[in-house]
Amino acid sequence: MIEDIPVLSLILLSPLVGLLIVLLLPGQRSNWLRTAAVVFTLIPLALSLWLFASFQPGAGGAAYAEHYTWLSIPLNKEMVNGGSMNLNFDYSLSVDGISLPLLLLTAIVSTMAALASVHIRKRWKLFYVLFLLLETGMYGVFLARDLIEFFIFFELTLIPMFFLIGIWGYYGREKAATRFLVYNGLGSAAMLLAFLILIATAGFTAVQQDTGFQIDFSGSYDVLLKNLADPASYANNASAEMADLGLYLSDSLKWTAFVLLLVAFGVKIPIFPFHTWMLRVHTEAPPSIVMIHSGVLLKMGVYGLIRFGAFLLPAQLESWSTAIAILGVINILYGAVLACVQKEFKLVLAYSSISHMGIVLLGIASLNEAGLEGALYQSVSHGLISALLFLIVGSLYERTNTTQLDELGGLAKSVPFLSGILLTAGLASLGLPGLSGFVGEFLSFLGLFGSMKWITAIGVFGILFAAVYVLRSVLNITYGPLKEPFAGIKDARFIEAVPMVALTALIVLLGVYPSVLTDVMQHGFGGLLEQISQRTGG
Amino acid sequence: MSSLAEYAWLVPVFPAAAFAVLTAMGRGAGRGGAWIGTLASLASLVLSLMLAGQRLSGTAVEYSNHFDWIRAGGFTLSLGYEVTNLTVLMLVVVSLVSFLVNLYSHGYMKDDERISTFFAYVALFSSSMLGLVLSYNLLTMYIFWELVGVCSFLLVGFYFRKPEAKAAAKKAFIVTRIGDIGLLIAILLLFWYMPNHSLDFTEIHNVFGTQTGVISMGITTLIALLIFLGAVGKSGQFPLHVWLPDAMEGPTPISALIHAATMVAAGVFLVTRTFDIFEASQAAMTTVAVIGAFTAIFAATIGLAQNDIKRILAYSTVSQLGYMMLALGVGSETGAMFHLFTHAFFKALLFLGAGSVIHAVHTQDIREMGGLGRKMKITAGTFGIGALALSGIPPFAGFWSKDAVLAAALEANPIYFIVGVIAAFFTALYMARLFFLVFAGSPRGASHAHESPAVMTVPLLVLAVLAVIAGFVQTPFSEWFGEWLFPGAEEEHASVLVIVVSIVAGLLGIYLGWLIYAKGSVRRDVVSSRMPGLVRLLERKYYVDELYDLVFVRPLGGLGKLLNVIDDYVVDGAVRVVGQSASAIGRLNTRLQSGQLQTYALTALIGLVILALAIAGRRFW
Amino acid sequence: MNMLASYLTLAAVLFCIGLYGVITKRNAIIVLLSVELMLNAVNLNLIAFAKYGVQPSITGQIFSLFTMTVAAAEAAVGVAILVAVYRSRASVNVDEFDELRR
Repeated sequence: MIEDIPVLSLILLSPLVGLLIVLLLPGQRSNWLRTAAVVFTLIPLALSLWLFASFQPGAGGAAYAEHYTWLSIPLNKEMVNGGSMNLNFDYSLSVDGISLPLLLLTAIVSTMAALASVHIRKRWKLFYVLFLLLETGMYGVFLARDLIEFFIFFELTLIPMFFLIGIWGYYGREKAATRFLVYNGLGSAAMLLAFLILIATAGFTAVQQDTGFQIDFSGSYDVLLKNLADPASYANNASAEMADLGLYLSDSLKWTAFVLLLVAFGVKIPIFPFHTWMLRVHTEAPPSIVMIHSGVLLKMGVYGLIRFGAFLLPAQLESWSTAIAILGVINILYGAVLACVQKEFKLVLAYSSISHMGIVLLGIASLNEAGLEGALYQSVSHGLISALLFLIVGSLYERTNTTQLDELGGLAKSVPFLSGILLTAGLASLGLPGLSGFVGEFLSFLGLFGSMKWITAIGVFGILFAAVYVLRSVLNITYGPLKEPFAGIKDARFIEAVPMVALTALIVLLGVYPSVLTDVMQHGFGGLLEQISQRTGG
Repeated sequence: MSSLAEYAWLVPVFPAAAFAVLTAMGRGAGRGGAWIGTLASLASLVLSLMLAGQRLSGTAVEYSNHFDWIRAGGFTLSLGYEVTNLTVLMLVVVSLVSFLVNLYSHGYMKDDERISTFFAYVALFSSSMLGLVLSYNLLTMYIFWELVGVCSFLLVGFYFRKPEAKAAAKKAFIVTRIGDIGLLIAILLLFWYMPNHSLDFTEIHNVFGTQTGVISMGITTLIALLIFLGAVGKSGQFPLHVWLPDAMEGPTPISALIHAATMVAAGVFLVTRTFDIFEASQAAMTTVAVIGAFTAIFAATIGLAQNDIKRILAYSTVSQLGYMMLALGVGSETGAMFHLFTHAFFKALLFLGAGSVIHAVHTQDIREMGGLGRKMKITAGTFGIGALALSGIPPFAGFWSKDAVLAAALEANPIYFIVGVIAAFFTALYMARLFFLVFAGSPRGASHAHESPAVMTVPLLVLAVLAVIAGFVQTPFSEWFGEWLFPGAEEEHASVLVIVVSIVAGLLGIYLGWLIYAKGSVRRDVVSSRMPGLVRLLERKYYVDELYDLVFVRPLGGLGKLLNVIDDYVVDGAVRVVGQSASAIGRLNTRLQSGQLQTYALTALIGLVILALAIAGRRFW
Repeated sequence: MNMLASYLTLAAVLFCIGLYGVITKRNAIIVLLSVELMLNAVNLNLIAFAKYGVQPSITGQIFSLFTMTVAAAEAAVGVAILVAVYRSRASVNVDEFDELRR
């Protein structure tokens, strides 16, 4: 039956199949390679769409879950009452209202980026191999329900990215790749430490058997969620049975884990002052890779912060919500003001990403339904918008060989289609209602305004700066007198126009009819909000 | 028939569909495509008139409908439309002017290769504007509010190759966005303070109008002022008026449609829709009145010294919008809406007339025109009617509405009245200057001017008729309009004093203008020779642009550059230092790697010995 | 017990001589010979423990046979490499072999 098909595994594995096929194809046939890659990004896209269409929000997403124990290692630790201990590594996939929109975003952006990779001019085979590996990693991150598994997939995105930046990037590509790896490596180290703390102290199930307790340690998210949410569980108390383990999740350990997670995902989002690596990546990586980077990889940070920060450690997040909101406002204004003075279009976009991610932080800090939905919505919307913008950047660079703002001008005359799409994307980026950017911003501001009025009011000024930097850069490129060297350039080819139109259509759809996503998201946050309201109520 | 209101949503949908079709067809649509836009606006007009007919018959009830836009557990954000007398009035005004401008543009934009793009933008604008006036809650209104802003931006920058157009478009968008932030924060405030997170106008009316005390005074004032900030931005009130005159870089029909008749009046409309909030706070009302009165006289004086025909009209628009705000500030919704209603017609007429002139002589500088009255009889005649209406000469429409505003002002505070009368005098003076310089006297510049084609003159004639008769819906003798629009609202009582004073001010202005610019019995440089400073101050628009540049633009740019340096050298520098020190240690260690196997072996041996010593040493510790 | 000590002392001396040769000699052939010396020192230890150790067993002897086989193979491969290097470099001086650095 159709319910028995392991859809999630299929989504995860189909890029890997594509990878094998690409490996078998001759390396000089760039068209074959590209077609294969596009086909194998389309398969997960189709599956995710099917998943999205058949998703029952009421069922809480549990309808789609796969769980296998991959490795079980017995731990030779003497137990008082003759019990046994195991360490399990699980293969556990699931989707819910939070990961599904991001999964869909990944599928869409990957497909568009695969289509946009026509600009790649060398070593196609390796490129598509790494590309598909990267895609697997991204799906894994959003599907994984096991901390160790999540970590592995998170790391799996780093390595292909390193090579994709380092080999196919622009002039300063190698430095950018190193910078990327160093920062994210540090982030990953912090994440691993936080995960180990959580697993060692709370990641276990204890089952009473005739020989004593059988204790299974694993990184299972659901187990952690249950143990952490239950104030009476072993994880939170140094009870007699567990005393010989010597570990329980004390408050200070919780705080350590939370701060480590904040750093780990803060590097990825990125939160000021951890942002400089992503500027390099934005400017140096090839545009189709930046589409993925800006469109999906940054959202992994948001997802991680919501999934592990907000859900596992809500009390810590709650007491730091003001700090996070302030960080968000700093991100918004700092990014926006800097975007206003950049001379290079890609840097404008990079700083604008920082600014937009600040809005996501505001949404998370609000800790209410509107804000969290807004944060997630803003993530999806920013993913689509920045993917579209970098798609255009790639096409423009191919024609003009520059992205310096003062060297460009008047392109609306010679490439009206590209300019029109660029203007639309710009308007979406500055939060024009009717396009997706507005909904996320509005919900985030709305959510945070309930608790922190002044901070929100300051943050709202970000949208003024957004108008300034978007219009300044977009109008510099498209309006004004046509610069001489660009008089003869041709407008977008069909293969370039397809992803642009598709992304624009999605941006408009999400702007006009946001319920299509918010209805799904709404159920993802239900449990968290209950937990928070219980805490504040009790 | 009673169900006609249920189809009111179709009014904005027609032009939206036209926009979609024109965009899909692209530039290839050409002039044939332009008729799609015109047909759509005609459809909107017909439906609006039918709706109005139904409302006028007095049988229809108010109708509103909405759907859930975003659902999120505890609350929903909904969008919807509402059919009341006020919205229907605005529907008719907007769709009528939009249709006439569409028609006119067929002549004016005839030779432009992007004519279909132009009509697509106009259709999008009409759709958004109609959506704005139909909105049933503030969120819906905000969405369309931003959309009309972006259409305005697109159309101001329509001649995108001109650097001035580019700058003006950018400025229009950014300056109005300042106001929009105010409105957005006001919406956030209302959302969290209103019972049930409701944003409907009906609910706002209930909460602020009847159950006073639900929301504290300070918050009420804050909300009102923030909403007003939005209105100030959109309606070009001081101190955010700077974008409107620059917006005249757009095609002239656009100036008529967006920057005279419809969009800029949206600020006034917004305040009218949320008037209960303002009425609940005296401080907010005073602010509105003071800003309105100040803008009215401030812009009128600038209009005296400008030489660009469209800029004069733009400052005149700012000034007249100031009148509307003044009316609102002194509590007369009727006066404001009435002036909005008549102003839409005569100001659109004036702009379209100006467009006809520009079309004929290809310049916008009134010093290069002259004597056009003989060559362009229809344009001159209709422009004259518009000018008289604007100057407040009976029986033209502007007289009645300005009279209503001034009467309300006199009742509230004589200072407002005096300011209003002086502004009216200046209005008459600059209109007389404009009219006589353009149409009277002898030609000074291009002499090959000719009358515009019928497709352009017919809208002028229609608007001229309206500029004559539109005022009779509300005279001091019959207050039908106010009662229809705002049943139960307090009415001003006209006083003879107001009528006489305003007529005298208008006639005096025209007479002085005639003396200076037509008859020549008063020398033109009578002021500029004596007070050159004052004239330069007016010509440079009180240096407001320069002031903003100095106070906001430059410091922010400087801050940006400073932060850029910090970002490069401090934030990134710290990282570089860490990274470089790590690689320095690495480089040091590479010395050990000489490639000499024997060195390696020796190193390993030394290491082993140290380890052995350490282990052995631990025993004796 | 004394027997064991003297064997071990001999093995240690042999090992040190071998180690000295490996680290200091320039000629690659002598280095190889020195390695053999070290291996033999190990063999000696294995046999000594097999005979006089705490739990005497045949395993040590088998292991030393095993080591000798490996040593023979190693010497063969080593000399073969040396011959190849000599052909290209016309030298067996280990100071000149710094390929590992590249």
